[in-house]
Amino acid sequence: MKTLLRSRELSCPSCVVKIEKALQNVPGVESATVHFNTGRIEVEHDPAQTGVSRLVEAVRAAGYEAEPSAF
Amino acid sequence: MVATLAATWRHPARRRRLLMILSGLLILAALGARHLLQQDGWHDPFMAAAALLAGGDIAVRAWHSLRNRHVSIELLVTIAAGGALLIGEVWEAAAVTFLFLLGAYLEARTLDRTRQVLQGLLELAPATATVVRDGQQVEVAPYEVLPDEIVLVKPGSKVPVDGIVVGGRSAVDESAITGEPLPVEKSTGDELFAGTVNQAGLLRLRATGIGADTTLARIIRRVEEAQEEKAPVQRFIERFARWYTPFIIGLSGVAFLLTRDVELALTLLVIGCPGALVISTPVSVVAGIGRAAQRGILIKGGDYLENAGKISALALDKTGTLTAGRPRVTDVVALAPVPVAEMAAVPAGGSGRALEPSNGDSRWSAQEQDVLRWAAIAEAGSEHPLAASIVEAAGDLPGLSDADHFETFTGQGVIAGYGGQTIAVGTPALLERLEIRATQRAETERQRLQDEGKTAVLVSVGREVIGVLGIADTVRPDAAEMVRRLRASGVKEIAMLTGDNRRTAEAIAHQTGITNVHAGLLPEEKLEAIRRLQSKGHVVAMVGDGINDAPALAAADIGIAMGAAGTDIALETADVALMSDDLLKLPEAISLSHATLRNIHQNVAIALATVGLLLAGVLLGEVHMAGGMLVHEASVLVVILNGMRLLRA
Repeated sequence: MKTLLRSRELSCPSCVVKIEKALQNVPGVESATVHFNTGRIEVEHDPAQTGVSRLVEAVRAAGYEAEPSAF
Repeated sequence: MVATLAATWRHPARRRRLLMILSGLLILAALGARHLLQQDGWHDPFMAAAALLAGGDIAVRAWHSLRNRHVSIELLVTIAAGGALLIGEVWEAAAVTFLFLLGAYLEARTLDRTRQVLQGLLELAPATATVVRDGQQVEVAPYEVLPDEIVLVKPGSKVPVDGIVVGGRSAVDESAITGEPLPVEKSTGDELFAGTVNQAGLLRLRATGIGADTTLARIIRRVEEAQEEKAPVQRFIERFARWYTPFIIGLSGVAFLLTRDVELALTLLVIGCPGALVISTPVSVVAGIGRAAQRGILIKGGDYLENAGKISALALDKTGTLTAGRPRVTDVVALAPVPVAEMAAVPAGGSGRALEPSNGDSRWSAQEQDVLRWAAIAEAGSEHPLAASIVEAAGDLPGLSDADHFETFTGQGVIAGYGGQTIAVGTPALLERLEIRATQRAETERQRLQDEGKTAVLVSVGREVIGVLGIADTVRPDAAEMVRRLRASGVKEIAMLTGDNRRTAEAIAHQTGITNVHAGLLPEEKLEAIRRLQSKGHVVAMVGDGINDAPALAAADIGIAMGAAGTDIALETADVALMSDDLLKLPEAISLSHATLRNIHQNVAIALATVGLLLAGVLLGEVHMAGGMLVHEASVLVVILNGMRLLRA
């Protein structure tokens, strides 16, 4: 399943790798892409193993607030 | 109180802001203690506390990244600040950590404002839609509307889905989609876009596009893809940035081994983040593309933005771009008054006096109106495009009626009977059929109109040629202004490419101020014309409707589609899509691209200069930790603020 998160707090492109790695280390996440320019975070994950709230939690642990978005 | 604090603590941005404020207050307290109260003993503990508060959060994030096997900027700052504390430089440690938090906070705030443009588009989507199900009005979420379902849009509310009007009449504000400030009249059969605002009456529409399938969603998707796509400059900078940080870490190690100067080594770590450099291009691209989107101009991505900023030649199709794309009566020549006996055939216009037409088209004299009236009666039943232009020009002149019978002669015109009269509208050959000879004067007028690039049509009633009509595709009112503005924005060569004949093309070129005319072209010849411009060293943009211009659009460095709202092909394939049909959007798109490209170059220059000066300053011992962090964060902010200027461009 693909989940889209949006964050309004990305301030330096160095956070891109930080958030991507944090998400990729969550079990059940296949891939994570952070777009610095728009603040869009695309996560490919197994919903049975990892819910959306767990993804938000992982981004928060990396130091940023993000919200799920429909499109 | 405790609950609010806990909530703040759980929210990373709010927690950092709280820590930043506390740490700032502690720094002020330390400075106050030393300079105002002369209590030097308090200075160091306060400074250390400030460093620990701000630095603690940075250290936690550094640790978190390290566990994910990532060497983050936070790690460098933590080492630098920690090292400074160990060697007793409490002021440096406090300043570095505080400035790091303050900088990130200000940067996030300002960057958010450049991203806001898109946020605005996202918020255009209304929360609910009113649909009619089994005769009942039901409120549903916009994405729950079914295709072909009837949706009600009340005055003052937003259109929830794309659709076709099936009932009602209203003015709709489409500025979100087209960038046009003036509301557009909508009635049955017209297309409505999700995200536009119904301003006056109740509209009923049949849903055609829902959720991600609306023009609005497609625009948002395209703008985001465009903003995320990296411009060549950005890719270059990112390659540079990738080795910059490891290089600085290495340099710091080498500097320490050579000089045994701990502070120098730590200061190098502080400036190890290529901040302004990596942010210089994205901020301009996001702001430039976002601003363009706000103005109804969709630029496909950073690549295209850079190319559009370099456009030096522009080729346009004539029909539909420079001209309205449909024929209109431009000249009415009255030759002979219709004989009184024959006038009797016209019930309401029978006097020959000037009758003021109610459509306000009073530019024709009474005699000219007679010519139009007779011609319109004959053409009323014809489906030829020229016939439509005559009927339209006649508007609602009094005395109009349908002909009793009429016959169309392909390529010649129409012969009609009305009230016992024979009317002929067409070429001299058509009049020959009735054995009517055009007078010398009629022939002269016909020739003159043709020389002006117009289609000339003779009108006869009974046995008399009463007038000549000139019909032409008219130049759009702002075409000349567009050409002028394009030149002003640095486009050196403007070429008209058209399949139409040279005489017509020259006439249009003359009216718009274009000197480079290529007429009578087949689609593949248009492509060759583009290639020729390119071989002269031009970066060429081609403006077209996307279908018969496809080869030329593909060959051009930038393909620009006009009036793209609602046509998916144009939206998907064009490098630059102008949502509305407004000609002046074209120079606006080009000058905005120029401005964005300039902005990127300024930002890269600022960032490179800062990195160079900081590095030199640190190595020469002129810049210390706090100063280094201050200059570094300031340069990032300068770059962001410079990019934000584009939002007002």
